[in-house]
Amino acid sequence: MIDIHDIWKIYDVGGQKIEALKSVNLTIEKGSFISIVGHSGSGKTTLLSVLGGLTKPSKGSVRINGTDIWTLNDRQLSAMRNEKIGFIFQFSSLIPTLRAIDNVALPVIYANGGKKANRSAVYEYAEELLSTLGLSHKLQSFPSELSGGQQRRVSIARAFINRPAIILADEPTGDLDTQSEEEVMEFFSRINEQDHTTFLLVTHNLGLARMTDKVHTMKDGMLNSNNGGNPA
Amino acid sequence: MNISQTSLALQNLARRTFRTYALLLAIAIVSGAIFSTSTLMWGVNNSLSKGLSKFGADLLVVPKGSMISMKSALLTGEPSLFYMEGGIMEKIASIKGVKSVSPQLFLTSVDGDCCVMGNAFIIGFNPKTDFTVLPWLEDKKERAFQMDDVIVGASNSYNVGDTVFFYGQNLTVYGKLGRTGVGLYDNAIFMNIEKAYSMAEESHRLPKVAKLKLVRGQVSAVLVQTEVGSKIPFISFTISKDPDVKVITAGNIITSVRQNLVTLFGSTLVLSFVLILANALMIGAIFSTIVNERKRELGILRAIGASKISIFKLIVYEAAMLTSMGGALGVFLGIVIMRVYQRTIIFNLKALNMPYLWPPASSIIILASIAIAAAVVVGVAGAFYPALQGSKLQPYDAIRAGE
Repeated sequence: MIDIHDIWKIYDVGGQKIEALKSVNLTIEKGSFISIVGHSGSGKTTLLSVLGGLTKPSKGSVRINGTDIWTLNDRQLSAMRNEKIGFIFQFSSLIPTLRAIDNVALPVIYANGGKKANRSAVYEYAEELLSTLGLSHKLQSFPSELSGGQQRRVSIARAFINRPAIILADEPTGDLDTQSEEEVMEFFSRINEQDHTTFLLVTHNLGLARMTDKVHTMKDGMLNSNNGGNPA
Repeated sequence: MNISQTSLALQNLARRTFRTYALLLAIAIVSGAIFSTSTLMWGVNNSLSKGLSKFGADLLVVPKGSMISMKSALLTGEPSLFYMEGGIMEKIASIKGVKSVSPQLFLTSVDGDCCVMGNAFIIGFNPKTDFTVLPWLEDKKERAFQMDDVIVGASNSYNVGDTVFFYGQNLTVYGKLGRTGVGLYDNAIFMNIEKAYSMAEESHRLPKVAKLKLVRGQVSAVLVQTEVGSKIPFISFTISKDPDVKVITAGNIITSVRQNLVTLFGSTLVLSFVLILANALMIGAIFSTIVNERKRELGILRAIGASKISIFKLIVYEAAMLTSMGGALGVFLGIVIMRVYQRTIIFNLKALNMPYLWPPASSIIILASIAIAAAVVVGVAGAFYPALQGSKLQPYDAIRAGE
């Protein structure tokens, strides 16, 4: 379970205080499939990064399974990001010098505190994920040889490589055509059902948000109470 | 190949080939210069201390005029043909603290039609009182040293059992000395001093033989061995009272060579250390740029589980890999250049009265390891601050900075 309590994020820009998040409270049950919609600059991405341990809130707590992640030390927080959270960013987040399969397997080098994991099993799973996402013919391609949509699908595959409990996705289908978008959402739903993986999607695409179980709205750094969405 | 922290660092280096090669070359030049300089200095120093310790004499007494050329003779094997009366030996032997004295007589052979085989530096010694030649025989015949025998230095091409022909005399190579680094010994041919006198006398009687201008009883040098605990400066001072002689001590020679060493290599070493500092700063600046260029990637790595220390290690690995490869390349180039110009180097060192022995393989490996390790230290030191800055980046800020 994820419990976000009274989260504030205030940026100091040239001496001016910008409140990106204002007292955000949110509880997400394990296995939920929810989305947050809002205009650009509403604070969606900032909330996602606070929740994922990427940026420290100015105030408040984020508890994952009872642990306040912002009280963890760097090693523990990094391990948590590696093992429990899968990120899908809204921009291309691939390492340009690595092939698609290596980009997907990349998190394994930080697994178990950098100790050797069963890498062949990881590579098998990476291949399986890429095949599921329609990229079985692009395993050895570098990012520069992939289209924007293909790069996005590689990023999605990477988010799942460590079988995380939580997927935090920022505009996950941004570069995809309608058919690919539906395939990806179907893939998300299947994983959500099979593994009870928690999904939190941030998007300004209302059509996409409607495919989730619950939709929250953000405006000016504040999270509004549930306002619809599609019940499961 | 499966992905690993090392392969990731290697692939990062391969990303900007020109920059990587330029850095590699800069490091190679510095480590090559350090390796070559230290190898040459080591060679000279080692040759000197090894040679002089093997030499066995605490003092060398020579005719006054031959002082400078005598040092040269000792170190490079160039002949010095000044003579003094052998009676000086008795005076020296009577000085308190002197354990033994032994004469040496220097002759040079000349290229001739009939009488010599090539040009060689001949030293007559007294086998009965000698303490500097016979103890260092490495290879010899299974019998006692005889009147018609010679002993050859290590640099000589003759082998035990060969026959040599000097001033109308056929002589047998009795033995060969181990390499000493003292040019005088490594290049010379040693014969019984009595044989040298008789050979000089014979040279005047035999037709078509170059005449040796030498009078029986004259010597070129007197080697002095002192008692343990005796005051060498006092003995040296006492001998120096004779206005016709000069005393050379091992210290004289070492000081003179070291001064030459400092003159020759000092500026190279200073320049190398300045270059090391410049390289460290250059690596710092370049890795600072690299960290800035890759902010987003570093942020992404943090997002997928890299800790601060992992990011720090990744950047430092890159620098260490680059500089170790540069260091190895520098050592390789240094060895190649030293081997290619081996003769020129030794010739130039000899011209500065510096004997030279190539260090043994084990020492070269040690010096090479030090040069490579120094290059790695430079890399790590240069990349330390940028790596620290890179590791301190907040993941989200790093990702946003790259947008």
